[in-house]
Amino acid sequence: MNAVVRENQPSSVLVSLRNLNKHYGDFTAVDNISLEIRDGEFLTFLGSSGSGKSTTLSMLAGFETPSSGEILVSGSSLINVPPHKRDIGMVFQRYSLFPHLNVRDNIEFPLTLRKMTTAERQKRVDAMLKLVQLEAFAHRRPAQLSGGQQQRVAIARALVYEPRILLMDEPLGALDKKLREDLQDELRHLHRRLGITIVYVTHDQEEAMRLSQRIAIFSHGQIVGLGSGYDLYQSPPNAFVASFLGNSNFLRVKSVANASASFEGQSLTTVPVGGLTAGQDVLLMLRPEKIRALSVEAAQQTALPSGWNEISAKVREIVFLGESLTCNVVTPGGTELTVKSLGSGLQNVQPGADVRVRWAAADACLYDQWNDADLSKGAGAH
Amino acid sequence: MLLSANAMGPRLRFGLFTVNAVIAAFLLLPILFIVLLSFGSSQWLVFPPPGWTFKWYEQFFSNAQWMQSAFVSLKVALLTTVFATVLGLPTAFALVRGKFPGRDLLYALFTLPMIVPLVIIAVATYALFLKFGYTGTLTAFVISHVIVALPFTIISIINSLKLFDQSIEDAAVICGASRWQAILKVTFPAIRPGLVAGGLFAFLVSWDEVVLSIMMASPGLQTLPVKMWTTLRQDLTPVIAVASTLLIALSILIMLVAALLRRRAELKG
Repeated sequence: MNAVVRENQPSSVLVSLRNLNKHYGDFTAVDNISLEIRDGEFLTFLGSSGSGKSTTLSMLAGFETPSSGEILVSGSSLINVPPHKRDIGMVFQRYSLFPHLNVRDNIEFPLTLRKMTTAERQKRVDAMLKLVQLEAFAHRRPAQLSGGQQQRVAIARALVYEPRILLMDEPLGALDKKLREDLQDELRHLHRRLGITIVYVTHDQEEAMRLSQRIAIFSHGQIVGLGSGYDLYQSPPNAFVASFLGNSNFLRVKSVANASASFEGQSLTTVPVGGLTAGQDVLLMLRPEKIRALSVEAAQQTALPSGWNEISAKVREIVFLGESLTCNVVTPGGTELTVKSLGSGLQNVQPGADVRVRWAAADACLYDQWNDADLSKGAGAH
Repeated sequence: MLLSANAMGPRLRFGLFTVNAVIAAFLLLPILFIVLLSFGSSQWLVFPPPGWTFKWYEQFFSNAQWMQSAFVSLKVALLTTVFATVLGLPTAFALVRGKFPGRDLLYALFTLPMIVPLVIIAVATYALFLKFGYTGTLTAFVISHVIVALPFTIISIINSLKLFDQSIEDAAVICGASRWQAILKVTFPAIRPGLVAGGLFAFLVSWDEVVLSIMMASPGLQTLPVKMWTTLRQDLTPVIAVASTLLIALSILIMLVAALLRRRAELKG
């Protein structure tokens, strides 16, 4: 195995999905997806169940045939290549080890099919057992292993024949939280050491953030957001992604001019957005940690920096979450906001107190189009 | 459990015990009775036997007709087992994995022989074989037995196929095995307990089948149950008790093997 770190190298495209569709009768599972997967990257398909992420992975593996569209790997089509000839590795949610074979034979299975010499097989299986730290368990049956150990065997079995691409379909979904986090770390290190291209499917956004270089967010069979976890979180391309990923506050404002808007009769400064007409409804999104709440006295003493906005609000409740303090406030117009940055004088604030809420215009995202159903936390959140 | 043995009063527990004992006796006494009679010295199947003897066993094993019918029974049962399993396997696969209209209807059709009265199947197959001149042949025996044994193999294989996680087979495919290789190397070993259990059931169905066999039999070719039935109509010799005992012994043996296999499969899974 080479141990080249390829994480930050600009890399070429390995897989191209072009206008991929999958229909089951009237139901559209995958709706015209186009995506380029780079050589050596860790890409995660993130979405709630039924969003099309698993169907897309299945088409990549070859278990499902696209209704239309093209899948290219290094420029050549995979559509007519049966799954066993695609040279792809896959790890399934329920481990899917061969129950009648021991750990060593499970890992050796793909090599036996490839008619390798005994010496070569032995060498590779030994290397894999070492990689996943299961040397001591080589002769156990899958039923004699814990869930985490079984999944490590499944990973070893998928890597032993050095496939170009490793697909992982919610591989850690059946494990408990602590073990899941350990395996996430292992997986990230493994990816760095081997430089293999990994396409990972999950509905757990924290897992997606922790593991991936890029995330593709699926909703209703389409990719509605694509980018690094950081970019998708800091500047979501649309209101759905903003609502789906992390926590968010939405303010319904009206555009006044190029860089100003009004919210409940108050004037706000915004970043300049082209193409807006005066009086148009605009959605303003703020992350809770970007909003600062101050007591009325503190707000009077501290001048508002330029490019910032201030509105008044009343405290509704305060929730202590260990590493952070979350404060729910409500504006006179009835808009609820979650605030995670509390200014001085608010350590002992009580529900019902008047506060001032401030944010920098540059930290807000503006959307001129959105679907109200996307704003509720239920839209795909788990 | 809502109604556990400990939660019941001693009276209720004793009552249940008695009812169960009576039912068990009702089911088992005739078997015990026939086994004891096969060792009894009386020629007239007197109970309790005045003395004990092996002479009816000697008569059974030295009689060419009895031995031949036992041999025919064994041959028919083995052939039925093979055909019912070989035909049941692809049928079960199609019924579990297939996505085609009318699948549930087909399943109902395949299990119909379990519900339809045997006499009807017997008359129907008899009429058919008569037309083609197959009555009294081994072929007729095996075909008619396969009809009634098939539901047992199909249901048994379907159950183990449904329990089998298909992603294990998919894993073999993505590892580089063709679908056929994956089924042979991974799916078959996993569903083997169901396959074996289905085969054993098929054997048992054929082994003690009498209604169809009477229709299919000829003077030259008859199974053990048919031979017993025809002998019974002529005289009441204790050799019949011997034949019954042997039928029961083999059935119990097969059921034990099935139970043992199931236990082993459970321990493994």
